[in-house]
Amino acid sequence: MSLKNIIFTRLRNFAPASIYCYDCVLLKHHFSTVSDSKKADSEEKLSGFAKSLLKFSESNDTPQTKTFASLLRNSKFIDLGDPKNKIVEGTIYHIVNDDLYIDFGWKFHCVCPRPAKRGTEYVRGATVKLRVNDLELSSRFLGATKDLTLLEADCTLLGIVNSPARQ
Amino acid sequence: MTLFILRSLGSRARTAISEFSYECSRRSRLSTKPNVREEGLKSETDIETYLDPLKHPDYFKVHELFTISDLFEARVHYGHKIGSLNEYMKPYIFGSRQDHLIFDLDITARHLRQALNFTAHIAYQGGIILFISRNAQMAHTVETTALDCKEFAHTRYWRGGIFTNSQCIFGATTRLPDLCIFLNTLNNILTQHTAVVEAAKMNIPSVGIVDTNCNPLLLTYPVPGNDDTPCAIELYCKLFKEAILRGKEHRQKDIDQ
Repeated sequence: MSLKNIIFTRLRNFAPASIYCYDCVLLKHHFSTVSDSKKADSEEKLSGFAKSLLKFSESNDTPQTKTFASLLRNSKFIDLGDPKNKIVEGTIYHIVNDDLYIDFGWKFHCVCPRPAKRGTEYVRGATVKLRVNDLELSSRFLGATKDLTLLEADCTLLGIVNSPARQ
Repeated sequence: MTLFILRSLGSRARTAISEFSYECSRRSRLSTKPNVREEGLKSETDIETYLDPLKHPDYFKVHELFTISDLFEARVHYGHKIGSLNEYMKPYIFGSRQDHLIFDLDITARHLRQALNFTAHIAYQGGIILFISRNAQMAHTVETTALDCKEFAHTRYWRGGIFTNSQCIFGATTRLPDLCIFLNTLNNILTQHTAVVEAAKMNIPSVGIVDTNCNPLLLTYPVPGNDDTPCAIELYCKLFKEAILRGKEHRQKDIDQ
């Protein structure tokens, strides 16, 4: 039974793609240990979809090198682009009376006042939707050489995504 | 001979000298080659197992404590806006995105490895380590870190002269820390922590996390990175604590042998 036939029978069973790759690798190893001549024959016979499937499974074996530059390029921060008016999701991590301290994965947190609608649902651990106005409240004042930062982001609270208080 | 000299001096001087000589012998036990091993050196394997910690590039294996992915996930690469950039921080910056600065984590990782290695060596030699931070939100975290590794922390108002005028402030000769670890080097946005200057004046080495608005010049081992996010500071605390504990573990092992 050639490698090509085995691949096509597996496809007919509608198993997920990840299993195809694993099976292809397994089968490839099995055939390579049987005999060299048989391996040469099976590789020569592969064409079309079977060949590309093997190639795809082979390329999955090599892990992607995680350099800082690639991590940054694929990060959510770069995806954001111009942060003004972007919608992000944050978690409330601290509450002082009616001030909600929300962490949305950035360097700083933002502080929003508790809204009147569904006020009791805004508890510690609740996930909320925010619209970013400014990622860092810093500006240069007249006569100063450096900016003055408030160490805080400025966001508008849009609504609740999920709350532990909501049952 | 030594007994005669000791008897001729006053009791206070005698205790000071005996304490001093005990301290010297305790320190020399670790910084020089122990005699027991020298006698036992017969085969090549014995020579290999004995390493001079100071000659080894990473004796305590602190390079394995973190990866660049860990730093990335802890948001160490986030900096302030360009408007508050300190010009001496320019070599550590990867670039800016929409006016927000990003640290080059390859450079940060290199500096952090050096800092952790140095911290572990200080702990190995029995040095006193002082954690300093003026971030009110993370004061408790820093203090518990110091408590866990049995070292010291100062996260409150720093009275000027604690190092430079210690005799006057504490009333007696005090042993100053052998290393200062700054989790953030600024008091507030405008002023640098006084301890940075004082440590430099008293020849105390300092390790410090420097953000884009900080001045790295007076620190011995600056580590460029984010010093505002709680998860980043927790990561630094965890790494320094682990390095100190490893140094102390090796010290205890060498004392027991």
